[in-house]
Amino acid sequence: MFIINFFTILLGKIISGLLHLLGKNAGNLPGLVLITLRKNALKAFKIDCPIIAVTGTNGKTSVTNFIAEMFRQTGAKIITNPEGNNLDTGITSLLLNHCTMGGKVKADYLILETDESHVPVVYSKLKLETLVVLNFFRDQLDRNGEVETLILKVNKFCETFEGNLILNGDDPNVARLGLANPNNPNVKYFSVEKYKYATDTLHEAGEGRFCPRCGTALEYDYYQYSHIGRFACPKCGYGKISPYVKITGIDLEKPSFTADGEEYITAGSTIYYMYNLCAVYSAARLYGIDKKIIRKVFEEFKVNNGRMEQFEYKGSVLTLNLAKNPVGANMTVRMINECEGEKEMLFVLNDNLADGHDVSWIWDINFSIFRNVTRVVTSGRRAYDIAVRIKCSGYDAAKIVVRPDLDDAVKELFSTSGRKFAVANYTAVQPTRAALNRFLKGENADADA
Amino acid sequence: MQTLKILHMYPNMLDLYGDSGNMELISYRLKMRGYSSEITQYTIGDGTSTDFSSYDLIYLGGGADFEQQLLADDLLSCKDKILAAYKSGVFMLMICGGYQLMGQYYKDSNGEKIPGLGLFDYYTVASTNKRERCIGNIVIETEIDGRSYKVLGFENHGGMTDNVTSPFGRVLFGNGNKFGSSSEGYREKNVIATYLHGPLLSKNPVLADSIISYCLSRQTGSKVTLTPLDDELEEKCREVMLGRLLEEKK
Repeated sequence: MFIINFFTILLGKIISGLLHLLGKNAGNLPGLVLITLRKNALKAFKIDCPIIAVTGTNGKTSVTNFIAEMFRQTGAKIITNPEGNNLDTGITSLLLNHCTMGGKVKADYLILETDESHVPVVYSKLKLETLVVLNFFRDQLDRNGEVETLILKVNKFCETFEGNLILNGDDPNVARLGLANPNNPNVKYFSVEKYKYATDTLHEAGEGRFCPRCGTALEYDYYQYSHIGRFACPKCGYGKISPYVKITGIDLEKPSFTADGEEYITAGSTIYYMYNLCAVYSAARLYGIDKKIIRKVFEEFKVNNGRMEQFEYKGSVLTLNLAKNPVGANMTVRMINECEGEKEMLFVLNDNLADGHDVSWIWDINFSIFRNVTRVVTSGRRAYDIAVRIKCSGYDAAKIVVRPDLDDAVKELFSTSGRKFAVANYTAVQPTRAALNRFLKGENADADA
Repeated sequence: MQTLKILHMYPNMLDLYGDSGNMELISYRLKMRGYSSEITQYTIGDGTSTDFSSYDLIYLGGGADFEQQLLADDLLSCKDKILAAYKSGVFMLMICGGYQLMGQYYKDSNGEKIPGLGLFDYYTVASTNKRERCIGNIVIETEIDGRSYKVLGFENHGGMTDNVTSPFGRVLFGNGNKFGSSSEGYREKNVIATYLHGPLLSKNPVLADSIISYCLSRQTGSKVTLTPLDDELEEKCREVMLGRLLEEKK
């Protein structure tokens, strides 16, 4: 076994080294090769430090970055995957870059964003200490299968997991994981108090309307967004939780919230941002991180990377946000609406493997609520599909401009001045950032050539 | 103003891939021509108070196995009324799960058999291996008002449907009723049942209009000709995808 492990690591190091020499990004490939050659390649690593994993449909990257930043500020040595690469192959590649020839990974903490479907794959081979689960929404159904299938995969893992399980207690799809292993005393729920714009009825496509235990329709006191809210089963009582962390006093203007009697100022101001921070706070509390550090990180730290990232061109401000599924997109549309005055929108839609080839989900985005959007530019591999979608929601077709090429689209968008928003799905977000940066540097002329 | 009455069955349970988009699209294309639509949402328990035959169009979307199990009993309790509506010529549009439930039976991926309404002879069996699914873009060729038309869509189903007497179309790209099948869906004069989920009608405006025209004509008793709409974006969209998929195959 030792010999096999040794050669696994050696081979991985060689591939990784070659890629670096060639100036290629070694984010995924070395792991892919190793796992193809040896299914249990992850077992070759020797890891003594705690592993914290973050999973869920939306917010994984942000929460992982936040938790990592918290630990970094305590002076701990951490290893993390801040830019995704969250499949078994990506995590293998990451560990390869940080291990000795003997496969030893030296760190105080490993903080790993992990794709939902890969939680059982990775943590059947690496010992996990804490699993944070944010939410389950419909997302890339052609790749993941039905949401239910995905939940069952994670649920199966939780049946034998005895580590810390930090769960969103306001998501019926997530809270049910707490029932998977009745012998695990380390199940902890987090919850966010009803906020100002919570509603009595479901506003956007939601999942999990029925009790996973008895099939009865769940009843809600209120919905925060999508199917996230205070729910309970009227028949069997599923959903009546006592939270480990409950954040209160959500103030989106300031913005701030209160936890354990103390107010925290935050950098972001949407309800799903607050849910992300609630998850981060739960992990920070569990690991006893100093409140001064928590305060500082919440107030100052920004993930950017296409998550509410700001750009500016000749006085016109553009906010770029990733939206890879209906819930994320609906949240972004709401945010665009909440911005007073006229604005324009760029929507970039791709259908690459990582996005899911199926773009049907755009029909779950509610564009009929558009207010003061004076023009829409669409781009990406499915630029026409999103244009048709927006048009059929009742938006004037004459105000829609289709520019499949991103550089053309950005140029078109900035042919007018004023407030702008850009929405891009998964594989579209980095190319969109790149196109924006190219344009801002005035290099777009070269890129066109 | 002429109004199209639509019964959208189980919208809260059968709405997996933006299937409600088809309703939005029909309403949109009616509105652009000065017609209106009235969509009634049917939920479990509405059976006794619903007059199925009074509608012009009955629509069922697709759902997950869990939801299909939950609604099976309710659907069966409406069997006679739905049968009467179908026989009287009400247009039936059914996607994925809705398609399966109108047949003889559906055996799901857990091996559980859900009895169908038995309106048609076909039956569906899903592999117990949940990974075995027909997933991907699909193009079929069908006939609409005497003309050949390519219908573009996306399929994602574990169920394999057999014993289809009159398919909706011939598969040009993708799988269809079964892995590697040459036929897709089921069709009669007033029935389209298909695995092409989500916003099927947005991708195929000619198909959408043929359904609308059928319903309006049936109401008035004489052929209604629809005024053409500006479908430039839709046509460009088709051009890009048909080009990509049919080229890919070569």
